[in-house]
Amino acid sequence: MRSELLKGLRMLDLSDEKGALCGKIFADMGAEVIKVEPPCGCSSRNIPPFLEDQPGLDRGLGFLAWNAGKKSITLNLDCEDGRQLLRMLAEHADFLVDSFPLGYLQSLGIGYEALAALNPGLIHATVTAFGDRGPGKDYKAADINGWAAGGAMFLMGEEGKPPIQMSVPQAWLHAAAEAAVAAMIAYYARAADGLGQHIVVDMQACVAWTLMNEQAMPLLHGNYLRRSGVFSGAVGGRRKTVYRCADGFISFIIAGGPYLGSTNAVIAWMKEEGAAPDWLTREGGLKSLTPTSFMAATAADLEELERTEEAVQKFFLGKTKKELWANILKRRLFGAPVADAADIAEDPQLKARGYFVTVEHRGLNRALTLPGAFAKLSETPVGPQGPAPQLGEHNGEIYGALLGLSAREIVELRAVGAI
Amino acid sequence: MGKLPFEGIHVLDFTWYAVGPVTTKYLADYGADVVRIESAARLDGLRLAPPWKDAQPGVDRSQFFASFNTSKRGITLDMSKPEAREIFLRMLPWADLVTESFTPKTLRNWGLDYERLRAIKPDLIMLSTCMQGQTGPHRDYPGFGNLMAALSGFYHISGYSKDEPCPPYGAFTDFIAPRFSACALIAALDYRRRTGKGQYIDMSQYEAALHNLAPMLVDYFATGRVLGPEGNKSSRYAPHGAYRCADEDGHERWISIAVGADSEWSALTKVLRIDDSAGRFATMRARMRDRDALDETIGAAVRGRSAEELTEALQRAGVAAYPVQNCMDLHRDENLEAFGFWRWLDHKEMGPSPYEGLEHRMSRTPGDLRRPAPALGQHNDEVFREILGMKDDEIERLRRDKVIY
Repeated sequence: MRSELLKGLRMLDLSDEKGALCGKIFADMGAEVIKVEPPCGCSSRNIPPFLEDQPGLDRGLGFLAWNAGKKSITLNLDCEDGRQLLRMLAEHADFLVDSFPLGYLQSLGIGYEALAALNPGLIHATVTAFGDRGPGKDYKAADINGWAAGGAMFLMGEEGKPPIQMSVPQAWLHAAAEAAVAAMIAYYARAADGLGQHIVVDMQACVAWTLMNEQAMPLLHGNYLRRSGVFSGAVGGRRKTVYRCADGFISFIIAGGPYLGSTNAVIAWMKEEGAAPDWLTREGGLKSLTPTSFMAATAADLEELERTEEAVQKFFLGKTKKELWANILKRRLFGAPVADAADIAEDPQLKARGYFVTVEHRGLNRALTLPGAFAKLSETPVGPQGPAPQLGEHNGEIYGALLGLSAREIVELRAVGAI
Repeated sequence: MGKLPFEGIHVLDFTWYAVGPVTTKYLADYGADVVRIESAARLDGLRLAPPWKDAQPGVDRSQFFASFNTSKRGITLDMSKPEAREIFLRMLPWADLVTESFTPKTLRNWGLDYERLRAIKPDLIMLSTCMQGQTGPHRDYPGFGNLMAALSGFYHISGYSKDEPCPPYGAFTDFIAPRFSACALIAALDYRRRTGKGQYIDMSQYEAALHNLAPMLVDYFATGRVLGPEGNKSSRYAPHGAYRCADEDGHERWISIAVGADSEWSALTKVLRIDDSAGRFATMRARMRDRDALDETIGAAVRGRSAEELTEALQRAGVAAYPVQNCMDLHRDENLEAFGFWRWLDHKEMGPSPYEGLEHRMSRTPGDLRRPAPALGQHNDEVFREILGMKDDEIERLRRDKVIY
């Protein structure tokens, strides 16, 4: 059942992988999201990795994940018949999202201005790499370039080694989700006067926004942060953030401030099991951890913290991820397992909340399991509305039922290569 | 400027740290009257976090807090006191939205759960955002976004090898969840406008963040494969990575490069003056097969050269490239500058301060940082007079009794 939240709203999704999450969020909220693809299929269908490592238009894992619940039509923007169809579709749409190079749609006569003349209520979001005004506005960018340009990459990795990204690249996702928020804001604005507008999203800015305000550090503290592997680069000392355990890794932090209670609680646990070193069990225990110590930390404080980290590391080596997680929950420690896909799939919390959703993919003739509702709304539940569409799966429905084209007209449009 | 989209929308905002405040910032920058309810008895931790004005700590000196709380007003109520809770309930009819990001039991303990509030304000929209949601065995788990990044799988796919994770910087999931919760909130506002119905939004930051790893999970459920860290290895581009260029003023400089098509490879060899006439790396398969040698070749070709100049030359030739920028570079970046990303606002205590602007721009109803973040309790008098019609002597008494605190 389609979510009631945005039921009745329609989005044309002309984006590739750079904007896919925008339409996915809208589809999850109940909007009808129509993926408009060239006759050979959106390039994002060919992005590896593939299901079972077998390439195929319906097998890209990213495609399957971020296009779930959308419809698909084929439409050739390179011919005038195709562009005419897009204009007709735009008259029936509330939103359009694209991630083409700047100026591409204008050059075809179907830019925002042209479409808004036909449908003044249209909200058009363009996902860009570096905005639409600077010297790099026409630059090409893979995800890694946005990660680098926005400052996140410089901070990830070990000193002396190259900066790195994650195995599931993240930069475009931030930009696409930002496009979703902006489109929602513009939609709320539209109720006042019926007018839409054009939105430009800047991936580089979206990545810069993730830096926990380290961006302001050079201006206020006169310095900038370097990457430091598993150590957190907080002012006043490097704190280890990843510990090895018996069967993997655990994220944990020994520190004062908000971490003080948790730090004392793990020491108490070590005492219970007779695993705390003598110097930690002596009266007074850890001396360096006043609530504000991370700024005022002396060399002696830092040495004590490091010795504590060593003791905790030794203790954790004898525990499994599962044991540690159980104790983190029981003792209210600030920690978390470094979970992999298997841990997440088996997580009792997600199970209790009925998080994962299974959809049937007819083209693959198999069920696929997807992340479920991104939030639980009491009146209008949201979540995946179906599988990712097969190429042109909804041509008949959209061109026939929505635009009112006859079967003969559709055949003609197919014959001239517009569909 | 014309009317902003959320003008007339009133928000009572209990959220703190990052996810909640960043969510309500979207509303505030677009015209909503967002009143942050804070307390000196239980400070928002970001008020104590660097960077600070002149590198000196203080509750009204954190730019970290300021950046996440633009365009809002700030009041203080010590909600552990019954009288503060009564004052909040008196303000409730004024509000369209109530937002909070405590662990689930906090509001229950104050007797301020959604059911109670809805009895007073039937069409209220309420957002609760916490680590793992309002239900389930782990609902009371307290934590920060860095731990959530570990729990939700981001740490595991970060690193050079399986030997040790090398996590993304900071509280990564804190910057995923707000976009999802903002979409839900705005859609709920619209739903209320159409139907008159409010609702309750239970947002688990974990469940939102997993959407950014959806392919990894689809894969696991379908095939049992567990994705691990792969450094800068890509199954789509080769070369693909960061390569060390010439240092500048003693600062290390790297360039990011991604090559998809063979034509881009050919263009790159000309710019970098790499001799591949033997065609060793001419095809994608060849480049993928011999990635390490490829990376060495690129590394040798860019060593000692300027990351900026190479970026310009590579981009002119149609190759995706950009310097790997540090936080200082971000302030000199011409593209961010042209987009208008950096903004200076005059904060009550901090004076002119650097804020990040919006990450998007709208053509007709542009949002803006309408004012700097509030100092702690900066708008107490104004808000209590305006919303509750409180007299000065009552406000004074409440201050004395540390209810307004």
